[in-house]
Amino acid sequence: MSALGRKSALIPFTTASGLMMVLLIAAMAFLACFSLAGALGTTRIAGTWTEGLAGAATVRIPGGEDDRARRISLVLDILRDADGIEDARPLSEKDVADLLTPWFGGAPELGELPAPSIVAVTLDGLNEPDPSVIQARLDGASTGAIYDDHGRWRNRAAKAAHAIANLSYWAVGLTVVAIMAAVFVVVSIAMSAHQGTIGALRMAGAEDRFVAGLYQKRFFWLGAIGGLIGSGLALAAFVGLDTLASVRSALPMLEAPYYWPFVWVGIVVVCGVIALLAARLAVMATLRRRA
Amino acid sequence: MILFENVGFRYNRGAEVLQSVNLEIPAGSFQFITGASGAGKSSLLRLLYLDEKPTSGRISLFGRDVTTLTRDEIAWFRRRIGVVFQDFRLLDHLTAAENVALPLIVAGAREMAYRDNVTEMLQWVGLGDKMDVRPPELSGGEKQRVAIARAVVASPDIILADEPTGSVDPAMSERIMALFVEMNRLGKTILLASHDVPMIERYKLPITTLRGGTVDDGMGRAA
Repeated sequence: MSALGRKSALIPFTTASGLMMVLLIAAMAFLACFSLAGALGTTRIAGTWTEGLAGAATVRIPGGEDDRARRISLVLDILRDADGIEDARPLSEKDVADLLTPWFGGAPELGELPAPSIVAVTLDGLNEPDPSVIQARLDGASTGAIYDDHGRWRNRAAKAAHAIANLSYWAVGLTVVAIMAAVFVVVSIAMSAHQGTIGALRMAGAEDRFVAGLYQKRFFWLGAIGGLIGSGLALAAFVGLDTLASVRSALPMLEAPYYWPFVWVGIVVVCGVIALLAARLAVMATLRRRA
Repeated sequence: MILFENVGFRYNRGAEVLQSVNLEIPAGSFQFITGASGAGKSSLLRLLYLDEKPTSGRISLFGRDVTTLTRDEIAWFRRRIGVVFQDFRLLDHLTAAENVALPLIVAGAREMAYRDNVTEMLQWVGLGDKMDVRPPELSGGEKQRVAIARAVVASPDIILADEPTGSVDPAMSERIMALFVEMNRLGKTILLASHDVPMIERYKLPITTLRGGTVDDGMGRAA
């Protein structure tokens, strides 16, 4: 009577369908991990970009060489007098040449180019100046200088990063829906095959939640095992692939390996719970439909 | 007490299988329900074990109108009703002991608590040596006795049996009937559907005869 103690033995589940379910959930969990990593990584990278661009501005002083020194001096006076600016420093020719090097494929000869002079501005992070006010002062002094606080780039970078992160979260959501749909269909089909057994259980006085419990338990473990395999493979891929080095540095959980067991267990439990909920929904819907 | 008041029943949109059935079966009684094939015996039992709801009239079980029961209440009522089906409805993937234990497992009993009970029940029906055998390896009579053990193991108040002796030889038939008589002596209400007239006459118990879906009063009229 050993099987009497195991309620799961009441339903004759087949190994083949269980294995198929585990493989399906493992594949979904693998994809979900990559989507989630994409979302986390993009958010992190966007944060780094916007933080890097924040707190700094540049002033470009284009045009003729004859009065450039005077105009630079005027610009520095205006900037240093303005509220919210901590420091203003003109870049040397070498600094400008370094900035342009990537675009030219080598160090450019600045004397041959109409390159502007650049003033690097450090802003007070808590009290950044109004860029339009600074620009008006520069225009009033006829310096021809253009003030740029990188706001345009910051906004673009943030918007792009958020769009990619949102898409990744949607991909995770769709994966969850796909797992639930797959479990729902598999449970519904299994219940058709188990019709006689379920009928006998109900005649013996089984409530709907008792029958649901038998499927829930089974599918929780199938989901958890699938999640364990899928997320384990994904984590191994993150760690193992050199080509993912940049992604790895962008993922906080991968930079701090002590997180891994928690992340892994979390994904395993979430996969199990998703499968459990889908199984319950399927059983309840099927039993009510047959009533 | 089982009470049928003007009960009518039809499957989906088919013809009425039962019409204006009035029945009153006192608690602790033992009655036969008889009639020709198609007279409505099995349908009447299906209404009693709450597999179907009447299309008209009212059925009262344990003082409750069964047409108003929720799904959970139906499950609870079924635990108070043991059923022996004509086709046994044993689960082939479970052993005889596991089949018998089904109502106890469903009721939430722990294995330690019901192990002895199941063993005793199978010994009572003469299958103490077949506890670990699965139904496909049992004879018709043995399956019937496993089904009886399953029906009574949780000590239900009402035991319903649909042609329980239909697929066994006369000796086994006597043995099965003796089991029902013993259960009745223990205070259970027994309702037994059969068209085995010689056997019914031998026991001299109250008989409800169904004819064309109605209860016959013995003079060819609906009661």
